[in-house]
Amino acid sequence: MAHVAEFDAKAAWDGGQSPFRVSYGKMMMWFFLVSDALTFGGLLVSYGFIRHKYAEVWPKAENVFTHFPFIEQHLPLAYVGLMTFILIMSSVTMVLAVEAGHRMDRRGVTVWMFWTIVGGAMFVGSQAWEWYHFIVGTHVGGPEGHGGAWRNVWDQAVNNGAGGYVKQVYHGATMAVNEYGVPQFANYFFFITGFHGFHVFSGVIINLTIFLNVLKGTYEKRGHYEMIEKVGLYWHFVDLVWVFVFTFFYLL
Amino acid sequence: MSEFHDDYPHYETMYNHDEAHGKKARRTLWNVFWIMLAITIFELIIGSMAPGHGWTGALWLKVLFIGLTVVKAAAIVLWFMHLGHEVKFFKYIILLPYITFILYAVFIILVEGVYSGYPRNVTRVDQIFIDQQKELKSGHHGGGDAHATEAAHSEEHH
Repeated sequence: MAHVAEFDAKAAWDGGQSPFRVSYGKMMMWFFLVSDALTFGGLLVSYGFIRHKYAEVWPKAENVFTHFPFIEQHLPLAYVGLMTFILIMSSVTMVLAVEAGHRMDRRGVTVWMFWTIVGGAMFVGSQAWEWYHFIVGTHVGGPEGHGGAWRNVWDQAVNNGAGGYVKQVYHGATMAVNEYGVPQFANYFFFITGFHGFHVFSGVIINLTIFLNVLKGTYEKRGHYEMIEKVGLYWHFVDLVWVFVFTFFYLL
Repeated sequence: MSEFHDDYPHYETMYNHDEAHGKKARRTLWNVFWIMLAITIFELIIGSMAPGHGWTGALWLKVLFIGLTVVKAAAIVLWFMHLGHEVKFFKYIILLPYITFILYAVFIILVEGVYSGYPRNVTRVDQIFIDQQKELKSGHHGGGDAHATEAAHSEEHH
């Protein structure tokens, strides 16, 4: 049962065994992750394209994401740093759960899975907080803010009462307009971090389901904890995507 | 192991190990974690102080950030996702198609992204956004208060 040294890669293709030396479920999880990674890759590539196009007027993340809970100070990127730390940490607890599963250590799996779920839930909550501040915006808003945007507003009083568009200071962000810069900035922020956040949310639900199975002793009865490894793959993938989102949205 | 009734290899249990091996595995995992944490902290410090001009906006720094990201990604895939421990052929089946597609996509955005930014390829709507943003930027550096600028803008409509 230990590490099978006598694996002959050539003979493996003659049938009777998996030439990849993995179970069907794990292989299919990998294939799913490749397709999902292509989706995220496509989104980030399209983000890169638009950012190239509006390179001169693209807002700087250090000027947009400056909030931190309970602290009034201007702390650029501190909060997203914390979020990243939480997600990497939960990735570590996940891999420790997988390791405990390899030793058939039910208690270890339970403990580490629990902390993984806590970390995931904290990350989703942090993202909600980040979105809230992004949408509400700053006191200053529009042009006096960080690059800013005007909103064209219909005003009856303009043009001797005939009406016309005037420009107004805008606070916060919607899909159509935001105070930080070109509309595409908020569009991509909402879409990509939202898509990733939804993956994290699904991951938490999946982890919770598997956690309940661990508590019930399903995998103890089954004789192996491979299911932990499979959900672990998904969870690490979510962390992997965040590493890229973090770089392309916040650092560059 | 009552589930298995055939002589097909039991891949599900193939990576099971004892406590001694587990201890070694855990040490490796924690080391990977510390390296990733150090990289992230380094990126954050540089990233948060970067106003985007001088050396902090330089191309080599961006390339460095992307390089460090790829290092972190490799650490996650090879150690946390155990791809480093899989059979060579399986590794290639996962990585090669993905890397091929992404390299092509990156190549195409670099080419097309630059091309679409040429003045003759910018649409009228694009130009409005760009002009508006530039105007606001120059207004910001001027330091005028919001209402004064607003009044100036509405006068244009009279």
